Amino acid sequence: MKKKIISALACMTVAATSLVGCTGSSAPADTPAPAEAQTETPAAETKTEETKTETTTSGDKVTLSIYTQYADDDTKVPYDYAVEQLKEAYPNVELNLIVQAQDDGQTLKTLAATGQLPDIYQASTDLINTFRESNQIMVLNDVAQSTGFLDKLYDANKDLAYAEDGNIYAFPFSGQEYVLWYYNKALFEENGLEVPKTYDDLLNCIEVFKGKGITPLALFGQEGWNTAAAFDVIATRYATGGIKALDEGSASVTDEGYVEAAKMMEKLVAAGLYQDDATTTNYDQASEKFLSGEAAMFINGQWYIEDATKALGDNVDWMFYPAADETSYEAGKAAFSGGGSASGFAVNPDSENAALAAEVAEFITEKYCEAKVMYRHNPLVALDTGKEPDSEYPAMMKKLSDTLPTITSTTKFTWGLTNSTFNDAIQSESQGLVSGQFTADEFVENVADAQ
Amino acid sequence: MKKYMGNKLAIFLFIVPALAIFIAFDFVPIIQVFAYSFTDWNGLTIPNFTGLENYIELFSDRVFFTSNRNQLIFAIIITVYQMFFATVFAITISDKKMKGRKFLRVAYFIPVILSVTVVCQLWAAILSGDGLLNKLVQLFNSDFKQNWLGDRYKAIYVIAFVNAWQWMGYQFALIVAGIKSIPSDYYEAARIDGCSNVKAHTKITIPLLAETYKFCLIISLTGGIKAFTEMNILTGGGPNKSTFTLTYMMYNAAFKKSDYGYGLAAASIMVLECMLVMLVINFIFRDKDQRKEEEKSRRKRGA
Repeated sequence: MKKKIISALACMTVAATSLVGCTGSSAPADTPAPAEAQTETPAAETKTEETKTETTTSGDKVTLSIYTQYADDDTKVPYDYAVEQLKEAYPNVELNLIVQAQDDGQTLKTLAATGQLPDIYQASTDLINTFRESNQIMVLNDVAQSTGFLDKLYDANKDLAYAEDGNIYAFPFSGQEYVLWYYNKALFEENGLEVPKTYDDLLNCIEVFKGKGITPLALFGQEGWNTAAAFDVIATRYATGGIKALDEGSASVTDEGYVEAAKMMEKLVAAGLYQDDATTTNYDQASEKFLSGEAAMFINGQWYIEDATKALGDNVDWMFYPAADETSYEAGKAAFSGGGSASGFAVNPDSENAALAAEVAEFITEKYCEAKVMYRHNPLVALDTGKEPDSEYPAMMKKLSDTLPTITSTTKFTWGLTNSTFNDAIQSESQGLVSGQFTADEFVENVADAQ
Repeated sequence: MKKYMGNKLAIFLFIVPALAIFIAFDFVPIIQVFAYSFTDWNGLTIPNFTGLENYIELFSDRVFFTSNRNQLIFAIIITVYQMFFATVFAITISDKKMKGRKFLRVAYFIPVILSVTVVCQLWAAILSGDGLLNKLVQLFNSDFKQNWLGDRYKAIYVIAFVNAWQWMGYQFALIVAGIKSIPSDYYEAARIDGCSNVKAHTKITIPLLAETYKFCLIISLTGGIKAFTEMNILTGGGPNKSTFTLTYMMYNAAFKKSDYGYGLAAASIMVLECMLVMLVINFIFRDKDQRKEEEKSRRKRGA
């Protein structure tokens, strides 16, 4: 009998200790998780700022977690500058940085599903729309008013602050942005080529460059937005609405302009505009090709001006997108691919310090804009900061600034699209076109299904 | 032993922890996957019941058929490659006269202990347009340069090879362990009877490894059906979703389109496919006694 009791007790002890690991945290579900827990999320690496302090609302040290990009100079410089400025303006606030993963918002959605959203997070249009439905994003109308954020917004960027329902859910720091078609001036000159105005000119350039073993245009097609932009720069020559009009449903991909654009892209791919392995090339590889002179052209946003100028100096410039003929080329100079989007710093309404987080989010947004103007020589920010760059703007940025007043229409980057099914389709189908293994007809048919 | 097995309380208490963990972390989530697959859900809000809508959409999606075809190709390639080479290498190094067998045993297993990301980055560098493989090919035939990972039809074979290369060592270790458990008397008896080495292995080693092969087959076939990581790193599912699998469809629907309901419908089909494969394998590998019993009951029914 004794043996039975002892064995039963031993078994119960084993069972109890085995189940200890399965018990949940004693913290209530609606309280934000400690910063350490958040830092252990998959695919998100963290950079802990100094030691963690107690989160209180009594004027003591407050630690706010922030989920934002921190990958290259364009994202590190503004963040570091904002942190320095924050120390002076809010000495009792410390930031715990959770580096944003390039995972289509997977980490953030998982954190939201488990009630562990950071206090402040960088949200794209898609995330804003999703979190709006689940009430996991704070309405910032009052904060935008009280901090003077709305007064500082450039008129051209007013729309960027508001979501479809007329509320402000994020403080945008990027203004209107543009897809630029960069080219290596030296390579064009060495090969006796003029900047292409028409697709016939472009086909001639492709032939000459390929003959010399130079990649005509290095695309980083592993990223769907880059292939979508490559299609958009052609589509806007035929239909100024580009992918924005398709996203909004005001145009159909079966419209003549889009069909012609798809066929032109198919023709250019067949001629060898992009490198053979464009769909498996990442940004670093494609950029290296362009900056090292292995590729003559490159498609990226205007934020690349700084890096391109640093590497190539006066040998780099951007061109207006080629068109079917010279008349369309001249007319198309006013229609750019790219544009602004309602994305920026958002706040978790369930944060213990939500009100403070909202103020800090606005402050950081302002500082991001300042840093981009001063140290990244990028005046295309959402706010009028009144700051000047620490050195002269690069020639390409000056050219863009001079062109801005003449721009009459823009489209969108993929992160600004609102129809997620179409967004997914345009990224993958344009990648198919770039690969040269999918026809224009397949492209049109499949995108039409997703519209 | 009988006395011990008679203690129902002890049996119950020993089973409970594992059972509780299985129910909480496997059974309940699988049921939830099936339940949510009948809804329109973005992963955060309350799901709306939509009946069979997700399944109807799924069965008319061209990517669904591409994914299933890819899974089948992937599963067949890794199963054939891994089981064939694992068997050959295991038999080779089980020969005690062979020199360098310790080194080879470690060498074959090394890829298994590497991270999948590291292995994929390694192969991505080898297989890229200007990578090592194309450079080697160019030495012999300059026209044969291939876009290994960007080809709509060939990329899946290349991805399957990378997976097979990495995990062959795992099956190799299982088969080596299986061979070690076979008594040497059998081989001695075979040798006395004048049996050659090859015949000894085909008549003794392979039949006695049936259980090991059953396990190897299950892990490689279900591994093929669940494939995701390699395509995610090497091709991103591209070009244009041509290297998608059902797991990738699930990931894409849930995290790119915020359509969890549709993604879970794909996941449900995948679970069913895995279960079907296991049932078929168990049926093929059922033991002799089981077969005899089945025959007896069939005869009884006939009489």
